Amino acid sequence: MNAKLLVPDSGTVDVHELCAKLRAASGRLEPFHPSILEFCGNFSRALFHDPMARRYAELQALAFWMRKSEMQRMKTQFDSLGSEQTLLMPRGVVFHIPPSNVDTIFIYSWILSVLAGNSNIIRFSERAGEAATTICRVLGETLAKHDPALQQTTAIVRYGRDRAISSAISASCDVRVIWGGDATVNDIRSLPLPPHATELTFADRYSLVVLRASAYLALDEKGRRDLAARFYNDTFWFDQMACSSPRTAIWVGSAEDCGEASRQFYPELAREVKTRGHELPTGPRINKLTFAYRAILDQPAIEQQELYGPEITTLKLADLASVRREHCGGGLLFQAWTTTLNDLSTIIERRDQTITHFGFASSELRELARTLGGKGGDRFVPIGQALTFNRFWDGYDLLREFTRTVYIQV
Amino acid sequence: MSFDALAAMPQYSLSQPEKERLLLEDFNELTEHHRAHCREYDRLLTVTGANHAAKSLDEIPYLPVGIFKSHRLASVPQSSIFKTMTSSGTTGQQVSQIFVDKETAMRQTHALGRILGHVLGANRLPMIMVETSTLITDRKRFNARAAGVLGLANFGRNHFYALDEEMKLDEAGLREFLEKHGSQPFLMFGFTYMVWQYLYERIQRLGLDLSNGILLHSGGWKKLEELAVNNAEFKGRLEAACGLRRIYNFYGMVEQVGSVFLEGEDGFLYPPNFGDIIVRDPVTLEPAPNGKPGIIQVLSILPRSYPGHSILTEDLGVIHGVDDSTCGRHGKRFSVLGRVPKAELRGCSDVHATQAGRT
Repeated sequence: MNAKLLVPDSGTVDVHELCAKLRAASGRLEPFHPSILEFCGNFSRALFHDPMARRYAELQALAFWMRKSEMQRMKTQFDSLGSEQTLLMPRGVVFHIPPSNVDTIFIYSWILSVLAGNSNIIRFSERAGEAATTICRVLGETLAKHDPALQQTTAIVRYGRDRAISSAISASCDVRVIWGGDATVNDIRSLPLPPHATELTFADRYSLVVLRASAYLALDEKGRRDLAARFYNDTFWFDQMACSSPRTAIWVGSAEDCGEASRQFYPELAREVKTRGHELPTGPRINKLTFAYRAILDQPAIEQQELYGPEITTLKLADLASVRREHCGGGLLFQAWTTTLNDLSTIIERRDQTITHFGFASSELRELARTLGGKGGDRFVPIGQALTFNRFWDGYDLLREFTRTVYIQV
Repeated sequence: MSFDALAAMPQYSLSQPEKERLLLEDFNELTEHHRAHCREYDRLLTVTGANHAAKSLDEIPYLPVGIFKSHRLASVPQSSIFKTMTSSGTTGQQVSQIFVDKETAMRQTHALGRILGHVLGANRLPMIMVETSTLITDRKRFNARAAGVLGLANFGRNHFYALDEEMKLDEAGLREFLEKHGSQPFLMFGFTYMVWQYLYERIQRLGLDLSNGILLHSGGWKKLEELAVNNAEFKGRLEAACGLRRIYNFYGMVEQVGSVFLEGEDGFLYPPNFGDIIVRDPVTLEPAPNGKPGIIQVLSILPRSYPGHSILTEDLGVIHGVDDSTCGRHGKRFSVLGRVPKAELRGCSDVHATQAGRT
């Protein structure tokens, strides 16, 4: 059974042989080994300098995240996870299945798995885009200059929708990581894993933003401009299609304050959108218009549609309880008012991932998270950080997920 | 101005300012009519804040054409619906559903007659359908293709369906038709790509004489663009092959049956007296200046049984000029540039869901 190997060399490989090789080499470098840190630093630098990679903002963000100082900080965090009686060791072979249409998000979880000392096999779909191809090339070039152990523990393979290959790799891995829509996750999940193996799934999620109206109204002009700029990054960078981009805005306060803050906020955001020169392509623009009209007919709670410049559409809901989660992306925000932050606990559900916030104290956010208990809401981050990846994602601590905790008692 | 008065006037005789003046009141009345009789339409206008009468044609609120695919919008009670028309779509695609009562159906037929009469004259001509006769079956539910064929069949007599079920040309039948009717003017109709693929490509070496024919064709250029055939080439090759010179393309849609945009002798499309076209900037959705491509909005005073008098299409077009025709037509002179590309936004779910659904 053959697949196309892209990294470390290009050519055809037998999948079973490849898995065996990766297993034999796994754990050769222990977590955060100096060779691994050096590789990450150089990979980051290569992405910063590669002319092709420089064309992708998301690759530059990745390079920034992977820079030496950040990796050092992560090592310090990792060191504090162990104890007198526990040791964190690699899990073995990790099989990564990235989404075929978002090119780079999976790299973060893959790099964390590399840091944890695992062998990694990554499946590229045949539809992988240019950013992914660029990553592949730069990675290959960087690996060639490093510790051979890193080459022996890394493989990127490309194949079509061949369940037999996915099946074979699944059967011989220790961790499987699936990125993609609900349907993809369910599809891959039906392929058996070894009994001891674990699985991380990053499926369809929904995200919201919550703002304290009085805090917004108290901002000065510069404060409002800065907030709009950060809100823009969260919302428009991937045309609102990233799972962590907010799609519903909830204003907290008196109805009067909420209405006033909303009326003042969106024109500010529209100015930011215009300054950045953001324009939605025509197809998605018509799709957004049609989506809004359909929503108005399907959701009786929608009271008013407002347009702020060509890129922002808001749909005001009669109450918080009417929040729904169908969405078209491309700059459409549902809006609702409520009196206290904790009211969110009545609507947050398992699908809800990121809640970006403005104007709340840590204690209030912790209180909300506690009230939510097992219901949902995995990340509470300030406006501007919606897309910033870290080791805590979708409720996982990835550094722990990619390691085994070994217990040693003397 | 009343429908009958507009129908009585010669087509294309209204200058643009005159048309806008005459039609504005009709469209405002139609908007109010649909608000009063279609609950969904009224809600859409209320929620989107379209609450004042339009002061110019470009202020008339429009619905995105896709809304007719997902929702049943009618301004007459179910019992008055005389036929339901659906757009053509490939299997699995949602299709538009358009509800027509007797009055709207009559307006459609009458309007189409007035528009086509402009190039066909008053008499019914013998007619070749570049179609198969098996197309028309269920008369209660028309898809766009059958509706087009049936609608056009009204304008001819002694119909000859030139294709069999396998889309093969009935060459003997065609020769027979030409023997009987070929020396006098006759009418032909077909969808653009079918005329090309099933007629032109089969007869180009047969040496037939179709020089007395008047060909009406519609349906879009997408398939011919793939063959690098544009309107000029289409006309030139047909004339060279069989002497056919009078060839008229028209742009129309099932959501606004009747008020079609017919090609002039200069090769451009023109709105009829019954409606108009607005091209909107693809970003701001404001009316685009002449010469600048944008999204086509179509306006028609015909639809009374469903709120389709003002629709934002998913087609791109460009207005070349206004009241400056070289073939004696007044109003906007425009071309259709094709469909808006269906670029998908990249995201975590959609593309995957469809893909996985296929396995």
